[in-house]
Amino acid sequence: MVVGYSDCDALSLHVKLADEAVRLGPSPATMSYLDIEAVLRAAKDSGCDAVFPGYGFLAENPDFAEAVEREGMIFIGPSARVMRILGDKISARKALSASGVPVTPGITDVEDAEQVIKFGDRIGWPVIIKATAGGGGKGMQKVSSPYEVEEKLEAARSVAEKAFGKGTVFVEKFIEGGRHIEFQFLADRYGRVIHLGERECSIQRHHQKLVEEAPSSLLAPEVRRKMGAVVVKAMKDIGYETAGTLEFLVDRDGKFYALEVNTRIQVEHTVTEMISGFDIIRKMFKIAAGERLSLSQEDVFLRGHAIQCRINAEDPKNGFAPSFGRISFLRQISGPFVRTESGIYQGWQVPPFYDSLLAKICSVGKDRSTAIERMRRALREYEIWGVKTTIPLLRRIMDHPGFIKGEIHTGFIEENIAGLIEYAEAEEEIFKIARFVAEVSAFGRNVHGA
Amino acid sequence: MTDKGFPGGGMRIGLSKKGAKKFLKGLREGKEILYTNTGPRDTGQSDYKNRFTLSDMSRLVPLYNESGYFSVEVHGGARFHQDLLNNKINPFEEARMWAGRMPDVLTQTLIRSTNVWGYRMYPRNVVRHAVRAFLPAIDVWRCFDFLNYIPNMAPIAEEVLSGGKIFEPAISFTESPECSDPYYLRVVREIVEMCGGTAGIILCIKDMAGVGSPARIRRLIEAILQKHPDLVIQYHRHATDGLAIPAMAAAAGAGARLFDVTDDAFSRFYGHVPVRPLTRYLRELGFPVRLDMSRASEASDVVRGFIRHYEKFESQYKGFSHDVTEHRMPGGAFPSSFEQAEKGGFLELMPDILKGMSYGNRIIKYFDVTPGSQITWTTWAGILQRLHKEGGSPNVRRLFLILDRYFQSGERLEALSQADEHLLHRLYSGATDDLKNLLLGRYGPLPFGWPKDWVYRSAFGEGWEERVKNERIESSPLARLPDDDLEKSRKAMEEELGRPASDEEFILYLMHPKAAVDFLRFRKDYGDTTALPTSVWFRGLRRPGDSVSIPLDGKPHEIKLVSIGEGVGGVKQVVLSVDNIMHVFPVELPEAALARKAVRKANPAAKGELGAPVTGTVWRIGGKDRLLKAGDRVKRGEEVMNIEVMKTENAVKSPIAGVIREICVKANEGVEEGQLLAVIGPAGE
Repeated sequence: MVVGYSDCDALSLHVKLADEAVRLGPSPATMSYLDIEAVLRAAKDSGCDAVFPGYGFLAENPDFAEAVEREGMIFIGPSARVMRILGDKISARKALSASGVPVTPGITDVEDAEQVIKFGDRIGWPVIIKATAGGGGKGMQKVSSPYEVEEKLEAARSVAEKAFGKGTVFVEKFIEGGRHIEFQFLADRYGRVIHLGERECSIQRHHQKLVEEAPSSLLAPEVRRKMGAVVVKAMKDIGYETAGTLEFLVDRDGKFYALEVNTRIQVEHTVTEMISGFDIIRKMFKIAAGERLSLSQEDVFLRGHAIQCRINAEDPKNGFAPSFGRISFLRQISGPFVRTESGIYQGWQVPPFYDSLLAKICSVGKDRSTAIERMRRALREYEIWGVKTTIPLLRRIMDHPGFIKGEIHTGFIEENIAGLIEYAEAEEEIFKIARFVAEVSAFGRNVHGA
Repeated sequence: MTDKGFPGGGMRIGLSKKGAKKFLKGLREGKEILYTNTGPRDTGQSDYKNRFTLSDMSRLVPLYNESGYFSVEVHGGARFHQDLLNNKINPFEEARMWAGRMPDVLTQTLIRSTNVWGYRMYPRNVVRHAVRAFLPAIDVWRCFDFLNYIPNMAPIAEEVLSGGKIFEPAISFTESPECSDPYYLRVVREIVEMCGGTAGIILCIKDMAGVGSPARIRRLIEAILQKHPDLVIQYHRHATDGLAIPAMAAAAGAGARLFDVTDDAFSRFYGHVPVRPLTRYLRELGFPVRLDMSRASEASDVVRGFIRHYEKFESQYKGFSHDVTEHRMPGGAFPSSFEQAEKGGFLELMPDILKGMSYGNRIIKYFDVTPGSQITWTTWAGILQRLHKEGGSPNVRRLFLILDRYFQSGERLEALSQADEHLLHRLYSGATDDLKNLLLGRYGPLPFGWPKDWVYRSAFGEGWEERVKNERIESSPLARLPDDDLEKSRKAMEEELGRPASDEEFILYLMHPKAAVDFLRFRKDYGDTTALPTSVWFRGLRRPGDSVSIPLDGKPHEIKLVSIGEGVGGVKQVVLSVDNIMHVFPVELPEAALARKAVRKANPAAKGELGAPVTGTVWRIGGKDRLLKAGDRVKRGEEVMNIEVMKTENAVKSPIAGVIREICVKANEGVEEGQLLAVIGPAGE
């Protein structure tokens, strides 16, 4: 296994664990992880047979997929053609609609603010502006009134341009109090598609998921069957291959609207693995190697409940501003029924260049409350010093009566933020005292007055 | 000793069950001499500048608890301020530490009437608020007023008496012709009237400088007890003049029941008498004294073990000083005055200053105890420095000669030559605001009347008569002081602190706003350091391998020194093993810290100062539509700058409409959170 890395990642964990590591370029992603040429060269020079893009960076870039194939290697992901249809949110909406999947009302060819205002007035405020090439909620702007349109439109375009190199945006009705439900599916190149049930990802901040679980406590079995059937049919129609996700927003009345298709593995695939017993990454590799899916939908059994929490390097008390620095202490979790995946180690410097995700932890149990209890235990054990993280916030979420009851929606964090950030700073008292001892020892005297 | 007779074990429970009156009745009916150990507070203040650490104090708690003391003075006076300023101790936590671990002995504070635990006059609602907050942890409330102006004590008396604790009004004592028995009897009568009788109080005779001769003290106590036979009297006395033990024996003979003492090893010159010699002497004289001598001896041994850590806080001048009977500088202020004199470079003037103070006491008459002692000290330190600068020692000697002549003539200016009179007319020309306030009655009426007109003339200069006529008040200054707007003060504090404050934190702020905020910031950065051993608190860990173990939340922790690096680039890398995990702490040397301060921080309270919301890179100065430079006009809410961090944009918008006065950063410059980015001023200037 060969990995690529940028300069600031030279000492990162994925480099240490790989068989071989190849430098891609300088730290800014555009000069390394997003540089198609650099990645291709690295793969070819080290004699790779296939390229797995993971999530983020070039994972959903059809040009890249095409280039990989052109160089005679296998791209572990959907074909460039499918990515082109589904990667652009506007053509994705069209394709899904055509297959009978309901989509949110929206306008696609946004040129000026006037158009957005008209749309909002017609459909009702608020509306949401999204980057056509986006992902991970970057650049999304909720617009509550016509007066904000101009400013928010600019901001969305600017971020889209900066993050994805493409400034086009589209506008949709904003579903308030909606729940974010997504279906995981697997498809082989021989036309077989199965789904592995849904995930609920309603706990979000700034439109980025923070807590994900499977199954959703919202869906009745017949709704699940109906949605699953819609997903399978649409992917068959589109000719999808490998793993993917179809995201829905489900409103208060149980009506569901497709949001987008993620043509890659997702951060939260873990919860599906925990309740289905499938190793999704392994399946992706096998499908890419041309193997058939041997199981049919009837063979998929979902057991229990799983929850994933994302540990990000950011300060919930300061509007989730990114926090970077050296991880001075790390205590990982252990024990049964929890799993953890992280790219960090004690002493590692969190670089300011990329996404703030440090680790994800996942718990599983026979039911939701058992999974919550195990997650609480895991979060209590988990300690990261040196950077601010979402751990204390996640601890508060796991204790929140609304969350425990399953009364969650995409505005949950925003609505409860005051209480959720009412925690004492995570830095341990002994560490603060040690800082004092360090200072007094360095000077040989107490410089704080005494 | 703690299991028999009154006051017996579980003193605090006894007080809360019986109430102050019943509790004191038991004490009155007993025969024993009882002690207040002043070690932690007043001795610490008088001889060690209030620097005792909690880790040392906590070793004394169990021994004090078993020694048979009536109370231990653990709180109040200047310790409150020093705790915040230097010791980084929360006075609430400190009081609770004592109260919680010392069930068989009462806790005691010293409160300075309207000045409470600070250095200015607080409005009545603040006084009440502060007293109420400490009532649960403090049992005995000794309260004095430097003018013996009893109405100043009223809010405190009411709160303490109704709160079920013991109120101990103190009369400020000194020896002078005016301080006669009739004068003190008048003061005591006022006190008894204010407190609704003698049953719920202890009367303290506060001999804070240590000047009472044995005969004088005996006479005074006899006179008071003759009028108020039920009064429980406590004699508070400093040891400065060297006559403390005989004076206490005389007081005991006259009927005083309570005495202030300190551990033998704590005794120096400005504090209090050693407890065991006093006990032995009193017992020899036939007084029953309540003290477990062996416990007291153990406590003294503990003190001997740690007292060397405080050597550098001891007075520059050592030895008893019998001339205290003239200058009357109280124990609490004596060593800190020497410290100030040394820092100010006029240590050699101290004998003259002290002599000047002895004259000063006869010109403006009040008691030299906070805030009076500070007024006397700054006034005379100022006068002597000025005279010395103008004409050296001959000039100083001349002043003393003039003053001698003035007093010999019965305080008649006519007895002086014109030149001499002129010198007196300039004597108080450098009067501080505090002295002027004192002369205008803003602390309360002076106990023996206002000073002579020439004093006002020299302090206020031209127009002095007008000011006396219009501004000098004869009534209670406290009654004229409007209540503090507590809500507003709290808001101001929380704004400064950047977070909500607890009720207790707010009390700290009410007493000492700046010191309280600084203390809370220290706590935020360095945690609760009070469990550190004293040597580590003052000097840190010295050699690699040295370690300190600290209990936190009932669990042991360990900090071990691994290495201290050479200072490179203004930073020393200190490597510590904290609970077995290595951490590197970069410690900025003072020079580097100074240089770093050059990074200007935005003042959050100043609306036009834009600070960086996050640490990141300035990638655009101006908004999407237009770039900005100094001098440009901006609308309210307009984007002035954009900081990028991890691919997210953070717009910095102008909170006001105005003109950019200054752009403090360059494009693509890395900035830290809170750094000043730009200054917006109102348009049209």
